[in-house]
Amino acid sequence: MAYFFSNYHCFLRSVFIVFFFLVSAVARADVPRYGGSLILSSTSDPKSFNDITAQETSTHTVTGNIFEGLTRLNAITLKVEPALAQSWEVSEDGRAWTFHLRPKVVWNDGLPFSADDVVFTFNDLIYNEDIVSSARDIFKIGDEIFKVEKVDDLTVRFTLPVKFAPFLQSMSQSILPKHKLAKAVAEKKFNFTWGIDTPPAEIVGTGPFKLESYRPGERFVLVRNPLYWKKSANGDALPYLDRIIYLIVQNQDTAMLKFLDGEVDLISLRGFEYPMIKPLEAKKNFTVYDSGPDFGSSFFVFNQNTSRNPKTQKPFVDPVKSKWFLDINFRRAIAHAIDKTKMIEILMNGLGYPQNSDMSESAGFFYNPNVEIYEYDLSKAKRILSDAGYRDRDGDGVIEDSSGHPIEFNLFTNSGNVERVQIASIIRHDLQSLGMKVNFLSLEFNTLVTKLNATFDWDAIVLGLTGGIEPHFGKNVWHSTGGLHLWYPQQKTPATAWEKRVDEIFDQGVQELDENKRKTLYDEFQVIISRQLPLIYTVLNSNLYAVRNKFGNLHPTSFGGAFHNIEEIYIK
Amino acid sequence: MNKSALGLSQWERALTQFCANRFAVVCLIILALIHGAAIFADFLAPYSFSNEDRTFSYAPPSKIHFIDENGQWRAPFIYGRKITFDQYHKREYLDQVEQKYSLRFFVKGDAYKILWMVPCSWHLFGVKEGGRIYLCGADSRGRDLFSRLLHGARISLSIGIVGVLISFSIGLLVGGIAGYYGGKVDDILMRVCEMFMLFPGFYLLLALRAVVPASFTSVQVYVSIIIILSFIGWASLARVIRGMCLSLKEREYVLAAKTMGLSDLTIIIRHILPHTLSYSLIAVMLSIPGYILAESSLSLIGLGIQDPYASWGNLLSEAMGIVKIKFAPWILLPGFFILVTVMCFNIVGDALRDALDPKSS
Amino acid sequence: MLRYILKRLITTLPLLLGMSLILFALMKMTPGNYFDSLKLNPQISPETIDRYIKLYQLDKPLLVQYFSWLTNILHLEFGYSFFYNIPVANVIGGRIWNTFILSFVSLILTWGVAIPLGICAAIYRNKFADRLIQFLSYVALSSPSFFIAMLLLYFVSQSGFLPLGGMHSANYEEFNWIGRFFDVLRHVAIPAIALSIASIGALQRIMRGNMLEVLGQQYILTARAKGLPEQRVIYVHALRNAINPLITLLGYEFSGLLSGAALLEIICSWPGLGALMLTAVQSKDIYLVMATSLMGSVLLIMGNLLADILLVRLDPRIRYE
Repeated sequence: MAYFFSNYHCFLRSVFIVFFFLVSAVARADVPRYGGSLILSSTSDPKSFNDITAQETSTHTVTGNIFEGLTRLNAITLKVEPALAQSWEVSEDGRAWTFHLRPKVVWNDGLPFSADDVVFTFNDLIYNEDIVSSARDIFKIGDEIFKVEKVDDLTVRFTLPVKFAPFLQSMSQSILPKHKLAKAVAEKKFNFTWGIDTPPAEIVGTGPFKLESYRPGERFVLVRNPLYWKKSANGDALPYLDRIIYLIVQNQDTAMLKFLDGEVDLISLRGFEYPMIKPLEAKKNFTVYDSGPDFGSSFFVFNQNTSRNPKTQKPFVDPVKSKWFLDINFRRAIAHAIDKTKMIEILMNGLGYPQNSDMSESAGFFYNPNVEIYEYDLSKAKRILSDAGYRDRDGDGVIEDSSGHPIEFNLFTNSGNVERVQIASIIRHDLQSLGMKVNFLSLEFNTLVTKLNATFDWDAIVLGLTGGIEPHFGKNVWHSTGGLHLWYPQQKTPATAWEKRVDEIFDQGVQELDENKRKTLYDEFQVIISRQLPLIYTVLNSNLYAVRNKFGNLHPTSFGGAFHNIEEIYIK
Repeated sequence: MNKSALGLSQWERALTQFCANRFAVVCLIILALIHGAAIFADFLAPYSFSNEDRTFSYAPPSKIHFIDENGQWRAPFIYGRKITFDQYHKREYLDQVEQKYSLRFFVKGDAYKILWMVPCSWHLFGVKEGGRIYLCGADSRGRDLFSRLLHGARISLSIGIVGVLISFSIGLLVGGIAGYYGGKVDDILMRVCEMFMLFPGFYLLLALRAVVPASFTSVQVYVSIIIILSFIGWASLARVIRGMCLSLKEREYVLAAKTMGLSDLTIIIRHILPHTLSYSLIAVMLSIPGYILAESSLSLIGLGIQDPYASWGNLLSEAMGIVKIKFAPWILLPGFFILVTVMCFNIVGDALRDALDPKSS
Repeated sequence: MLRYILKRLITTLPLLLGMSLILFALMKMTPGNYFDSLKLNPQISPETIDRYIKLYQLDKPLLVQYFSWLTNILHLEFGYSFFYNIPVANVIGGRIWNTFILSFVSLILTWGVAIPLGICAAIYRNKFADRLIQFLSYVALSSPSFFIAMLLLYFVSQSGFLPLGGMHSANYEEFNWIGRFFDVLRHVAIPAIALSIASIGALQRIMRGNMLEVLGQQYILTARAKGLPEQRVIYVHALRNAINPLITLLGYEFSGLLSGAALLEIICSWPGLGALMLTAVQSKDIYLVMATSLMGSVLLIMGNLLADILLVRLDPRIRYE
């Protein structure tokens, strides 16, 4: 549910269409068996085992199997379902939520789980001012926090300052053991607790697996938690697998070779790798799943910041350039110059999707297909430009605006992502042929980030964001006060009428508990974005992955990936 | 004693000996050819480095035909090609028999400037509008690899040569001063050198590259890469030059120059450093490869020369993937060019050493 | 001797300080720090980020930061890794040994192959064998190691007789010590070969040159004239004198391997310092970078010192005071 900047391409392994077929295919009478290992590869080391202070996704790869929240999102139905909480009820005004915890749940060191742990996780960890955590920002509305109280050993009550539509979803926040961590919190050492140098037995969770060993740079191994509370439909104690082994393989090619060699059971593929892997399906006994578009987004954005540097009193963006970037016709012309078809062919061998809206098609419910679509048409782009006064007046091959300034600007992207660099290069080439002079540079990620939110000295950037199924978690991008409102962040008052309307939609949407009314609101938001083009979208990858043919209960989905139901997976 | 006559005869002898090494001579010729091709890249290449046609993504090298589909001989020509994706989404290019493009010499194409001065649009060879000739195949966006290789040679070779020249100027000067003055100056300068040599080179490269301002244009990035590489490379040379100066400064003619009242800098530059020339020449030849390789590793992590400009390093970095090697093996060619060039520099450098250093023969 | 070693160590100390200060300044001069990437996470508030900056004194002047780091070093506290949120020493600890293994195997491989090749080339000077060895050496010297590793991996994947990347098999824990030894050896093969190829080329050529020089010396002629068997002349008299000058190289090679392996370690997923360093530099995890490069430099100094000491042991003509 986190909304991150996606630096390297993050492959959310998922299936959207395929799973319907799979459900029926797997239904034949296989009796699940215990034992065996699942071997996966991970591109980087976990940075920590501390789910509260962790700042990035590689940590959640590990902790996701060790810890659980009160609720979880069913990866097939995309609905919230009970996890550590067995049931819950909400008060009339929608602000007080009472959770009834599942009885007889124990931590993997044998001690009982109770309401104290939940209260501890929120009041002593997440809301603790001494602890550096990104989780706090999620559980705060304005400046107000949720009130979390223990009713009895198995009942917890949350009182919210106002209504909060994605509340149940946000309750998938991992609950951590009080008995293990209270001491560190008291000694103010929690920020440095449960780092990667912690003995594995110290990491205590309620999830289906627990940490067995970690070799930095090489692998981490999760082992079955025999005390896990969940039972299968026929009464088997879950999980079935003995171990999950993550090999750390930084290089994608090496990972692919390891998969073909049989060392790894799953590999995420990029479109251009498909022709290499797919023909080997039968020979090497695996199946390639194509799950439709990726979550997240990839876009071209202009700097529309009109404020001044408070120190030098100079505008952040040259007013000459600012005039173009604020001109909707200018942005529309650019939108017509994005050659999505060829990008998909060149970068993904045809296995990708043009992106038109912020919500991915895979997001399902909140996805709005009826937005403005800009087909690739350079002559149309040229016409729009010349109608708006941008044409070559002095015959030097570069177009000028109505006051005679030649159109020249910088285009940046981050150097770590080869695909993004290619997309930017293709766009640049087309803009050159429209008569613009574009200086393209791929920058180191941190440098780019500094420009985006501190120095604001950029003209145009090609970048991506990770995404999810809940539009509200993108508030920081879309609300004009947001820090990630890339084109003009942290505005005091919305600069334009349409930004004002988007602000209203997000403020209303979060308090609207009727799903359909919410959808209407967020549909309108997607249409506004597609008309105003603050972000000009490019293309999305297909979620492709290859899984060895040996797993039972495999129901891969778009949201959760191949092994979202890890506790039910078994080896045939 | 006539110094120049002595010097000349020494160089003459060296030349004779160098020529005796036929292998090295061949390498020198190859180097000359590559450098020549780089200088006249605009004319020799059928396209400019940024001329792209996205319908020819990863098109394999064009086959030049002499016999058409009816078995008849004709002037060399190529077929038009069309891309399809097979059931595994693999690219396949099919010859379009009805489209023939004959190979022509001295054709008009992308405009350029001869030696960066005279505007011109003639190219050595090409095909008529509508067709695309790919001698070495195409890259991802349908740009001609052959053209990009030639243009890339300009950047890669000049990074090597200019980089070496800069670091050598620093090295010679620092080494000369340290060796000539000796004592405290020598001590301090040599400690500084050692400090630079203590850095793990690749990390220093990364750290320095990160200092380069982001708003730099491609040309400025190119210049800063050269400067960074020189900055790392000068220390080891300075040490050797210093050692040579230490012994040279005791020579009679240096003492003579001193008594004549020439300034120290003049003595160092005019009377001491020229005597390190033979060593320097060898070292230049043997250090250039380091610069070419360093640029390629920078490019590998995306911090080298930026697209659309081509260098052998960034062309090779495009080939760093097993899938690409498998389906488009021709994009490995830049690696081959790097290998051959670096090898030639090494061989010529060694042959020079043999020729100039009488001890070794 | 001991005095010499001490003196050497003392003189290198200011060098290390100077180097670390430059590196520190470089890291600081570059725009942006690690927390900038956090700033782009919409769920982290600016206050959270300010707190981080306070925690690590990132708001103090450069020199203050440097000296607080330095004083910590004297207490053997290498600072915290922002990225991993644990002490730097704990991040590096596990990996330095792996890098050492890779360097060591590669060193042995280089010397084990290059010395015999050099001798062989010198003995058969200008014959076919020599020519072939020289040509291959040039090729080896001229190819980028990351590229060789990539090709090696690809070919090995076709044949499948060596593991692809990593350092241990999944069932490593179940082996006895012999099994473990060979397991690591099989894994180290590809990166070690790729890392050694260029050095083999270089060392072989130096060995050949030295050998030729020694073979031309008076005492070799004398030995031959005395009628000693050729084998004995070459392997006893010539070899020893030809190898001595190479010993100094040993130190340089050792430390050079450390930084040369960064790209290679990534491609072969070898869990060493190089890969760690690369990401650390890129994400500006400053204390991790400082500690790792300091480690590299110390290793270099140690290597050189070791080489000099060895030289004294082997060559009675050299004395240090």
